[in-house]
Amino acid sequence: MTHISQNSASDHGTSNDVTLDLVNRHSHTGNLFRISAVILSILFVLGIAGFVLRITTDGTSNNDKWGYYAAVFAFILTTAQGAPMVAIAPRIVKAHWRRSTSRAAELWALSGFITTLVFVPLIFVLPGLEDGRRSFWFYHEGEVARYIPHYVGALSVVAMALAGLFLLWVSSLPDLAYIRDHQTGWRQKWAKVFARGWQGTSWQWFMVNHRMGILGAFYFMMLVFTHFVIVADFLMPFVPGWIDALFPATHAFNALQGGVATVLVTLFVMRKFGGYSDFIQFDQMWGLGKLLLATSLLWIWFSFSSFMIFWFGKKPNELYTLDLLMTGPYLWLFIAVFILVFIVPFFTLIWNPVRRSTWGPPLIACFVLVGTLFDRIRLYVAAYSVPADADMHGPIPLDLVPAAVYPDVFDILITIGVIAGAVLIYMLGTRLIPVINIWEQRELSIYQVHKRFHRTEVQVLGKPE
Amino acid sequence: MQEYIEHGPKKINRDLLAGVLGLPRWWMPIASVALLVILIAMCAYGWELNRGIGVAGINRPVYWGFYLANFVFWIGISHAGIMVSAILRLTQAEWRRPVTRAAEVLTLFSLLAALSNIFFHLGRPWRFLWIPPYDFARGVWPNVRSPFIWDPSAIGTYLIGSSLFVFIALIPDLAVIRDRVSGKTAKRVYGFLSLGWRGTPRQWKLQTVAGILLSALVLPVFVSVHSIVSWDFAVNVSVEGWHSTIFAPYFIIGAIHSGVSAVAMVMALMVWGWKLENYITRDHFDAIGRLLIVVATTWFFFFALEFFYAIYTLEDPEIALRTMQVFEWPYGPMFFVFIVASYFIPVPLWLLKNVRRSPMGMFLTTISVNIGMWLERFLIIIPGLARKTPFTFDWGTYHPSIVEISLVCFTFAFVTLGVLVFSKFFPLVPIFDVKEGEVFRDEIKVGRRTVPASIRE
Repeated sequence: MTHISQNSASDHGTSNDVTLDLVNRHSHTGNLFRISAVILSILFVLGIAGFVLRITTDGTSNNDKWGYYAAVFAFILTTAQGAPMVAIAPRIVKAHWRRSTSRAAELWALSGFITTLVFVPLIFVLPGLEDGRRSFWFYHEGEVARYIPHYVGALSVVAMALAGLFLLWVSSLPDLAYIRDHQTGWRQKWAKVFARGWQGTSWQWFMVNHRMGILGAFYFMMLVFTHFVIVADFLMPFVPGWIDALFPATHAFNALQGGVATVLVTLFVMRKFGGYSDFIQFDQMWGLGKLLLATSLLWIWFSFSSFMIFWFGKKPNELYTLDLLMTGPYLWLFIAVFILVFIVPFFTLIWNPVRRSTWGPPLIACFVLVGTLFDRIRLYVAAYSVPADADMHGPIPLDLVPAAVYPDVFDILITIGVIAGAVLIYMLGTRLIPVINIWEQRELSIYQVHKRFHRTEVQVLGKPE
Repeated sequence: MQEYIEHGPKKINRDLLAGVLGLPRWWMPIASVALLVILIAMCAYGWELNRGIGVAGINRPVYWGFYLANFVFWIGISHAGIMVSAILRLTQAEWRRPVTRAAEVLTLFSLLAALSNIFFHLGRPWRFLWIPPYDFARGVWPNVRSPFIWDPSAIGTYLIGSSLFVFIALIPDLAVIRDRVSGKTAKRVYGFLSLGWRGTPRQWKLQTVAGILLSALVLPVFVSVHSIVSWDFAVNVSVEGWHSTIFAPYFIIGAIHSGVSAVAMVMALMVWGWKLENYITRDHFDAIGRLLIVVATTWFFFFALEFFYAIYTLEDPEIALRTMQVFEWPYGPMFFVFIVASYFIPVPLWLLKNVRRSPMGMFLTTISVNIGMWLERFLIIIPGLARKTPFTFDWGTYHPSIVEISLVCFTFAFVTLGVLVFSKFFPLVPIFDVKEGEVFRDEIKVGRRTVPASIRE
């Protein structure tokens, strides 16, 4: 006989307790935060200096000077901008464990500012279509604008950034109202402007849920499309004969893996240094750890599927591509990527003591993030190092695989600066919007009940939809 | 699951064993028709064995015809069981409970149906023995680098894994049947099959662990099977349209699309045929409909990538092939039906809640998907071969013979009969899983409203 379990206070007390607790934590800024922000600001400024020196010294006409720049752009696109998917997907399937993680993931949408800014110079690096390279835009002289990949690329990067920002704002509306009602000073003023008169009526809740669904789906579509455009127009065309139909999907899929890894590291920092250890617990790490394991397995499958066909086919263009990206000048980087993105996550996360811990998945996520950075360097630096005058339709120059390009000081400054900029903007975002989603925690306190079940205590989770 | 009817263990036993302990009135006529089709097809196969593979329509340059298209189609359907059962079990999706068994059984019979196509295609089936490297003394060294050698291993492993998967989940139900059948022999057989199941805590624990382990272990096999099937085509550089890196994921997602659609179709048939509407509710159709929207859209994305990247090569033969696939008779109209039936009809309809929640709506739309997906396999295999090389003297002359058509019909009849016979001896809905679902079911009060809840597994 089904009986009704009475919900009372959750792990964190009643829903009002949760609100007050989280609003108070949000308003507190510690010394560690300030010191980190200063260091990151310095690194960001150094990155800007590196960029200025790069553009004044080398201009935008030498592709090989911009490989690392393109790689770090792709790295942020793959990791930080993939992170909001960690909020979107579990919310769609109504996984309760997501509640403490969704805002931490959505806040990474702020990195859209960085990717948009970083993307601008790449538009100037990419030549027009008149050189006859492959493109989806089927350029014929006079038929379409020769810079159409540049327009579409820019539009998709901006649209993705905007979709992420709107998603963040819509999902923050109720929390901004809590800040408006419980805080004073500049925070109250800021929240009042952006809460847009939120009162929590049934209609407002309906609209917020509806819009979150639409924006989430749109963000996912833009993520896939942006990766597709970047791969098709800003990566593959630099290598004559690199035709890999799967690669845009692999690149977009890497964003899911990178996104999970980014959120895991973020949660670990929040738990360890941010004072949120009672919200970010085993469930969140375990849930994301499983996702990281699954995405690592899918990474090897996607990569092997591409490799397999090229290796079997052995057409000249395939041999050239394999040599350039895997077995040639970037062999050691490829091995490092393989170990960091697949071997380490797979052989550690299948092991229960690591996967079912609060330290294991974030530690492995660090390896994955480093591996993803190496992977982007391997792909973009190699592709951008191919001489710009390579004949796009002539015989593939098998003996002309360019040597490995090592980073110079400007590359190092830019790489560190861009990553620091993305982290900095995230940290500043946490001062404006609570990093733990208050309204989802309130919901959890309503839907979650603990009760006796035979000789043990179990968690009962309400499923209202 | 918002819709919920509490049955109690006794009623569950009675309802779900009705097909085993009795026989629905329609069962015999349908089984007879399926058997008749099988017998006719076996006559056709006998003809092929007697006269040779020449009685099939395949000829230069189209060496692979209906048999291979049908093989890929049934391998695709076989992905239903693992998708619905293993993945949903690992992700603890509540709605999986009443549909897992039917999906797993569909996997088993569709795998056998797929394998039968290989034997039909061989013409001289005894040559199958040339594939396994069992006897080095023969001096026959199969090329281990060929996906044709990997195929039997992968499919064989998948068949064994899937059979184990079905069996492990059947054990508690077999014990229930053992305790209820009256005949001495039946009691003995079910007693033997249930492996002395008494429902002790240790047995339950072992059965649960085995289920989870098998779910996790069978997933890589599930991925490898269709990947290898796709590589049968993709490693070939000489056939336009085949040599694409995307084939493995594209085939897998296509398989999931057609497989999950087949499960939705079987769910509707179970509701109508076995009167299981209290167990497979509109919420279940809604859930599988939502899943199908995601799967279908992902499939469409991969389809678009495959198609656009073929054009992206800017190679004339590739573009000529795509032109032939899309615009030329007879492939053009098939292409249109394929794309409309597998995506543009079902997905917009699944966006409508009324269609998603209706067994008839889901039945019709999922049939549409599988018509489209069968054509997809045909369009991947035949047009590419029809233009194999510019030196071939004979282009595009494939016409399926009556023998091939009969043997394609055989596979459909075989799977139908297989599922029907299975349902006579074993429950199509897992009894223990449904009971477990009832135990885990709860309700909580939220304000003045009572909402469904479940105990976290």
